[in-house]
Formats: sequence, C-alpha cells, structure tokens
Amino acid sequence: MSFEPRILGILCNWCSYAGADLAGTSRIHYPPNIRVIRVMCSARVDPTFVVKALVSGADGVLICGCHPGDCHYSEGNYKTMRRIPLLKKVLTDLGVEDDRVRLEWISASEGQRFADIVKDMTERIRALGPSRISAELDVDPREK
Amino acid sequence: MAIRVNPKIIDDLEGYGAEDVQLCYHCGNCSAVCPHADEFNVFPRRPMRYLQMGLERKLETSLEPWLCYYCGQCSDQCPRGAEPGETMMSLRRWLISRYDITGIARLFFKSTKVELAAVIIVALLTGIFFLGFGFWQGDINAYDGSNAFLPSSFIHNFDLALGFLVALFIGLSAFRFWWFSMGGKSAVPIPWWLYIKKIYLLPWHFFTQKRFADCEKETTRRIYLPWLAHLGLMLGYVTMLFIVMVFVKQLQAGPEINWSVHVFGYLASLGLLIGAVYMLRGRLKKNRTQYQRSHGSDWIFLVLLFIIALTGVTQHILHRSGLLLAANIVYIVHLMVVVPWLLRMPFTKWAHMFLRPLGMYFSAVRNEALARQKSGIETTVPARKVA
Amino acid sequence: MESRECKIGVYICNCGTNIAKVVDCEAVREYISELPQVAIARTYKYMCSNPGQELIIQDIKEQGLDRVVVAACSPRMHERTFRAALQTAGLNPYMFEMANIREQCSWVHDDPQAATEKAKALTQAAVLRVAYHEALEQMMVDMCPNTLVIGAGIAGLTAALELADAGQKVYLLDKQDHLGGNLARVDLTAPYLDSARDLLTERITRVKTSDNIELLLNSRLQELKGYVGNFSATLVSVDSDDPEENKAQKIEVGNVIVCTGYKEFPAERVTHFGYGKLPNVITSFDFEKMLRAGRIECKDGEIPNYVAIIHCVGSRSPEYHGYCSRVCCMTALKYVHEIKSAIPSCYVSDLYIDMHAFGKGHEDFYRRTSEVKTMFLMFGKGDHPIIRSAGPKDDCQMLIEVNEQLSGEVIEIPADLVILMVGMEAREDATETARLVNISQDKDGWFIESHPKLDPVATTTDGIYIAGTCVAPKDIPDTVAQARAAAGRILAKIAKGKIAVDAIYAEINEDACSGCRICNELCPYSAIEFDDEKKRSHVLSVMCKACGACVAACPSGAIKGRHFTDQQMFAQIEGVLR
Repeated sequence: MSFEPRILGILCNWCSYAGADLAGTSRIHYPPNIRVIRVMCSARVDPTFVVKALVSGADGVLICGCHPGDCHYSEGNYKTMRRIPLLKKVLTDLGVEDDRVRLEWISASEGQRFADIVKDMTERIRALGPSRISAELDVDPREK
Repeated sequence: MAIRVNPKIIDDLEGYGAEDVQLCYHCGNCSAVCPHADEFNVFPRRPMRYLQMGLERKLETSLEPWLCYYCGQCSDQCPRGAEPGETMMSLRRWLISRYDITGIARLFFKSTKVELAAVIIVALLTGIFFLGFGFWQGDINAYDGSNAFLPSSFIHNFDLALGFLVALFIGLSAFRFWWFSMGGKSAVPIPWWLYIKKIYLLPWHFFTQKRFADCEKETTRRIYLPWLAHLGLMLGYVTMLFIVMVFVKQLQAGPEINWSVHVFGYLASLGLLIGAVYMLRGRLKKNRTQYQRSHGSDWIFLVLLFIIALTGVTQHILHRSGLLLAANIVYIVHLMVVVPWLLRMPFTKWAHMFLRPLGMYFSAVRNEALARQKSGIETTVPARKVA
Repeated sequence: MESRECKIGVYICNCGTNIAKVVDCEAVREYISELPQVAIARTYKYMCSNPGQELIIQDIKEQGLDRVVVAACSPRMHERTFRAALQTAGLNPYMFEMANIREQCSWVHDDPQAATEKAKALTQAAVLRVAYHEALEQMMVDMCPNTLVIGAGIAGLTAALELADAGQKVYLLDKQDHLGGNLARVDLTAPYLDSARDLLTERITRVKTSDNIELLLNSRLQELKGYVGNFSATLVSVDSDDPEENKAQKIEVGNVIVCTGYKEFPAERVTHFGYGKLPNVITSFDFEKMLRAGRIECKDGEIPNYVAIIHCVGSRSPEYHGYCSRVCCMTALKYVHEIKSAIPSCYVSDLYIDMHAFGKGHEDFYRRTSEVKTMFLMFGKGDHPIIRSAGPKDDCQMLIEVNEQLSGEVIEIPADLVILMVGMEAREDATETARLVNISQDKDGWFIESHPKLDPVATTTDGIYIAGTCVAPKDIPDTVAQARAAAGRILAKIAKGKIAVDAIYAEINEDACSGCRICNELCPYSAIEFDDEKKRSHVLSVMCKACGACVAACPSGAIKGRHFTDQQMFAQIEGVLR
C-alpha cells in the first residue's frame, strides 16, 4: 500500500478559503490528503501552528493567503511573507525538508489553481515519504 | 495590399433597390439559412459586406448574387430587417448595369420613368413602322398569303434580325461577366478543361432551375410553387420565342391549325399566362417575402409579357375565327409590345435568363478549381490575407 | 489538552445527495457520537432548511446543549444562518462551529472511503475546537449622523443630495474649483441625447443652496481617523503648498462615501494612432470640447468630409488595460448622431471590436445609427488599426489601415478627423485615497467592494462606501444608482442610531504584556495604543478587525485573538490530523 501523505492546510477566510470553495463549486477534484482549517488572515498563522501540525502527524503544511496587495486587512500577508520563510529556514536546520512547508497566494477566483497546488504538493510529499518528526516522536495517529 | 473603402457606393445602390443593407450587423443568420451557401460562397452576407464597405472591385467580380433565386428565407430570418434577399436582387440589377457597356441598363434601373418612356417610344415606332409597311405592301384584311398585311417571311426575317441584335448585346454582357468574375481579374487560375467538364450545367440550370426547387427545404407542400410558376413562365416564353423565330410561317398559315406546331404554342401560352398571373398576383398581394419589394423593372417585364400573351392568344383566336381585320390590328399591337420587350432584355432584369445559369456554371467551375487548389493539386496563388 | 465538560450537539447534513452521494454520513455520525463531550449526533437531509434549524433549536432546549457543530457546506455559506438559529434557541451565537464537508470534501473527492475518513476528521476537528469557544457579546456604539462625501461629480452630487434631502448633514469635498466632475466636460449623453448640462445644473443649484450641505471645493482629505460612526477627518485646501497657509479643518462624521471618479486613458500611449503627432487625431474628450463649442472642424478650420471613430483605445488590450470601459461604445454612437446632424454629408466610419449595447435603449440606439448609413468596421482584439497621413492625391487627410474581420479583407479608410474612444482608468491619486480611508484597490486600481455581486457599494472597512466610476467603469444610470444606494445604506444606519461592533477582536492580557510594542506597528488599523503610564499596550476593540497579525507576533503570547485563540486552533489541528 503506497504511503498516503497527510497535509494540513491553513487558509485565510477572504481569498484562499473562498478559492478552495470555488474549486468545490466547480467540482474540480484534488487528492483527499489535505485537511483544511480556517483563519481570518494568513497573518494569524503562528509558527507554532506549523510545528504543532508536524508534531501531530502532518507530513506537510500548506499555508495560503491573499495575493500581496490584495489582503483583506491591507498588510497581513506581508507579515506572513516574512514569517513563513523564516520559519522554513529554522525547520530546514532541524531536518524538515523544504517541500513540507509551503506558502502560496491564492485569490478567491483561483479554484483551479488551488486544486493544482494541492495535487502538486501531495505528490511531492508522497515522494519524500512520511515526516520523520512524527515517526520519531511516535505520534502517528494512524497507528493508534 | 489594402483596398480603399468607398462609402458612396451604398448611396448608389439605393437606386437599385437596396434600401436597408446598412442595417445588417453580420450575425450570419442569412448565410446559415440559405440552402445554397457553401464554404466557397458565403452569401448573402459576404456580398452585403462588400456593399456596405463599397468594395466595388470585389462586388463586380462576385458570382454570389447569381447563385440566388430569391426564395426569401434569408430576409425572413434577418433579425434587423436588412432585407438580404432584396439586396441580392439589387446587386443583380447593379451587376447587369456593370456588364452592359452601353449604360442603358443603368439608366433604366435608376429611373422607371425613363424605361417606360423608352418602351413607349419603341412601341410607337414599331407600330408606325409596321402599319406603314403593312399598308404599303399589303391588305389589312389579309392575314396570310401573297398580300398579307404582315407577311410571315418578313416577320421571320425581322424576328431573326431582332434576335441577332439582342444576342449581340447579351453576348457582350455575358462576356464581360465572364471577364470580370473568371477571366483576367480572377484570383484563381482556372484550367480550361474544367469549363468543358462542367458544361452540362448550363442547359441543366437553364431548363430546369432545379436549384430553385431546392430552395424550399422546409416545405409543407410537396411542390415549391414559386419555382414551378417561374419555370412555367420561362419555358413558356422560351418555347414561344423559338416557335415564333422558326415556325412563324406555320403559325400564320391558316385558318387551319398546324397541330404539331400549335400544340407547343398552346402549352407555352398556358404556362406563360398562369406563371405571369401567379407572379403578378403575388406582387400585388405581397404574399411572399420575395414579392414584398417590387422594382419598376419587375412590373414592366410581367405586365408587358402578360399583354404579349393576351394579344398573342387573342390574335390567334381572331385569325382562326376569320375576323382578319381585327386579327391584324391585334397583331400590330402584339408586335408593338414584343419589340420593346425583346430589345430591353440585355438592359434589364431579364438578362438574368442567361446570366444566372452562366453564374451557376461559372461557380461550379470555380468551386472545383478552388477545391483543387486547396488540396494542393494546382500550383499556388498568392493567398488572400485572412484575419 | 485538558478536556472540558460540555454538551455538544453535532449535525451532519446530507445536503440532499450533494454530500450523501460521496460521504457516508451515517458512518460519520456513528464515529462522532463516540467522541467524549458529544451529547447527540444526528444526520439530516437539509440542515439549513427550517425543519433542520428547528432540529437544532429543539435539541438545545430539550437536551440542554451548550455547543453546536454542523458538518455541511462552507461556513462562508451558512455560518450566519446557524448562528442565528442558536440565538433563537437562547444560546450565544459564537458557541458554534461548522465543518466544511461539501465544497472541500464531497464535491472535490471521488473516493467515498477517503472522503468519509476526511469528513470524520473535519467534523472531529470542529468538535474539539468548539469545546474551547467562549460566549462573545457585540458592543453598541453611538453613531454620528454626518457624512463626508469625497468627490463632487455626478455620484457625489447625487449622494449628497439624497442625504441632505433626508435632513442629514453632508460635507461635500472636491479637489477642483467647480462641481460636476467628468460629466461637466461632456455635451450630450447617450442613448437619449440629453444634455449633460441639464442633468448637472439642477443638482448643482440644489447643492449650492442646500442648508444641509457644506461645500468644500479646492480641498482634499489629509487624514481620516476613527471607526464607523465615529470618524474624524482632517481636510486641507489644495491651493497652497505652504503648510502654514493650508487651512486645515477637522470634521466629525459617521460615514464616508468615496466618489472620486476616473481619469481618461492617455491616448499618446498608443503610438500607432499618432495622437499628439497627427493634428486631426483627437480623443473623445477633445471632441466633447468641440461639441460644446458648437463646431466640428479639423485643425485647419475645415469641415471634415470623413470622420472615423475608433473604439477600445486603452481598453480590452493586454498592453494597456484588459477591462472594457463600458461607456465608450454608446458614446461613439452618440458622436455619429451628433456628426450626422451637424454635417449631413459627412461619411462616418466606426471601427469597433465588439458593439457593447448592453443597456436600456442601447440596441435601438445602435439600430438608429445603422439607419443613417454609418460604415461599421470590425477589427480584432489585440489588433492595431494604423493611422497614417494621406498623400497629396487623396481626397482626405489620413488613411486608416485595418484588418477588417467581417469581410476578411485588409482595407483602407479615409478620414479627415479621427476620434479615439479612450477608456477609463483609475486616477493617479486613487492609491492615496485608498490608503487614507483604508480600502483596497484591485489590480487595475479600482476600489474593491465588499462583495462584487451582493454588496457593491460597501467596502470591507465599515463606514466607508464607494460609488460610481472609482469602483469600475460604468455609465450614468449605474453611477446614480450606486450613489443613491450608498446614501440609502447610511440613512438606514443613521435611523438605527447605534452601531454594532463585531464581537471578534484581539485582546491584550495586560499582566502578560511586556511593553515591547512590537504589536503597535503591526496593526494596519492603528487599533493598538500604548499606555505610557502603565507601559502596556492596549487594543481599541472597536477599531480592531481581528486579522490576528498581532496575536501571532506577540513574543509574550499576551494577545488573545477572540474566537481564534491558540487553544482553539491547536484543538482543531489535532482533530483534523487524526
């Protein structure tokens, strides 16, 4: 049985979550490996969320916000734009592969793009294999 | 090479009957519904476009107006009321004027009064001439024989001369037609043997007008009446003309009836009368799309033909009843109408009698040449720049 | 994660077959009902329907539920519906969470087993999250009934009058020294050929004589502080550069309507039309000047025999602006009529890509233009008609070469005068305006409305409304409609008297705050104040929009994002990765 990655998606309410909804209304299919939670703005994404996810069994985390310039709260995504790359640097030093944490800008009209990104990310993480963090911490909920 | 548009052409065409062509906004419904439009001949929309833009050269060299029988379905479908059917009719009138080198056609189409005046003048001249001739060499009470008022041999020669004159002018127009559309100015090189291969189409279209019958695709009746009426009318007067040209002696001999000739005459007259009445009635009542608009030239042709048929039949009856004086008078009247009617042929709508079958024949030839070119059999010509 | 004592009701919607076709709702229900704290788990055909909501209300009353989870469509769809149902049952509306098992599950996955597993996870996440929800209350604040209208074009004049006629005070602001905006530059309007002056004069007179409207010409907005119902605006005059001389005026308003309008596309950018080089190539506004002066003529004073009008200059083109400027097609036809009535012998050609005759009376207007024998010529999108000077033998000044689409020919059109239908674009000061009132611009510079279909005059910033062409190109009827709509919305709010401020905002725990002030600069709404005495930061909850930027940034973890707390997020993350 091939490995099925588990990906957490954190989507901002105004753009990316709406975009994902649009993929739904357009019936554009993508792999079911992603599970989404909603925040009002991608700026709310605390780095600890990402770590919590990786420690709780996620093989990857996808953070989505509005395109720069289009943030519903004017500047929120600029903060995300600084935070997440910084976080990834730290994580890489800790041995987490770069592809596991991904930041994307998705507008409310980009349903197809959301689906494409999810497909792409699922395949990349499938190729990487299960996250070593959950393996080493022995917290894979699937094994419960 | 860019073609200059000419916004004045559309004003010119108004005189020929195209009053609403500027309303066309090129939805293409007309070409879609036309039973005879195909990939090479996109009509009526393409000629309407050329007309709107005043592309004179393109119009002059166009075959498409001749592929149309004015079934009127395009005008029925037009959402804007741009009258594509009538526009095609107007273009035919315009083309006839262009092919005609004398300029008489243009005059006639532009002004019905001028045409009427010409007809009347020629009629009067004819009347005076024949009256004079008759009185000078014959007896008004004699219909045939040695001192006939209008001897058949003279009439025969007169008819032939008239026919020759008419043939000359229509032949000239036909040649110019060919030259414009297929000859020197054509963009497609036509191999000569294609003309021979397709030559059977000429008599086919001339005598059956089958394409006209094919116009009615959605018919509820089994026979498309306008086609039948048109065919009856045309075969009627063609037969009559032939008989009169060749067998006028047998016609005038009598009072016994030469059945082998006369039976054709009767059939022809019947066809003529029925066809003429049908069309006149149609135009008066405007009961079909193609009869909604009537140009002066449409009326003159039908009315004159009707009078000819009537006088011809009357004269025949009078002759066979022995009322020879009356018969001769009616004969004069008959001739007074026939002569202008025949003479105007190359300069009026009636020229379509030859030009339309020619157009269809040319189109078949050109279509095949284009098809061959498209599939690469012929050598290439400079391609027209397409958007 | 410590567990809490609560009674959660979970409702799994079938949504007809939308969800039930792929997700095994009964299996989800069974799984969820086993979870601790779940008092009851049900499935139902249509949860958003009246009986569906009744189900929830009844269970709350009978079973004593204190929290509710609905697994159904997107919360963007029905969160409001179910929150209202909770409120009806006497429960705080924020004790509710939705799991999106339709748009983000049954509609996008075809493997029923995987989809069902995912639905279970999403619902469990919602259950774990809702256990940490707190009852939140909305605040009511007073509302100032004054309104600031920025821009005194047709939109601003209309909005101001609408408010003033209802007895409310309006401050009408404009940078220019006269009223009327772009409409004052126009002669007649399409399709009925009314005079623009007639449309404006009546309004301008009434504005000038109204007691309720304070007119501030030659002025601009320098600063806008506050929040909906309680704005404080600083206005300065545009005349003087000297800050000392600038008469600054502070006004108190409850709402703002932005009607700053558009500017025309600069035709010189389209070099193949030769605007600025060929003397008789003019723009639509240049032509309007000619029309208002009463004489259509070429540069040398001669009457033109041929006029050509070109559509879509600067619009519908990847090189300039991709959008359609909406008004130019009908305006072009209006020009045809004006030219033909002034110079009947003139030949007019109209070069268009498409004829946008979308509105009332437009198709008839188009037809009438055909009747006067306009030569309509179509060129392709992205294609370039090229204008050049004609030769000495030609009977015209210029020739336009076009790849004409309806005939398939490359043609040349004579023209003595060429009118370029320049499109609309966002004003250069639009960015500054947007920044001042805290609204966003889209990629073309137009202001973004709250919802493109359902909320076209409001913005995501409460209290700031937008109307007219500053939102997107539109014609006069739509502009007036939007101006009146914005005014109407404000009047409705004024009638209510008080404003409800959203219960979701950020809160600083002063004991935990270290006074580092990192959050102060982060807030886009300047909603965080620093108390110099206490040396602590403090959130002005009425101004906070709950973006959460400060919550994530606080190094002390002192800021709590209400309804999006770390606890709630963690619970949800755990649940979703089961």
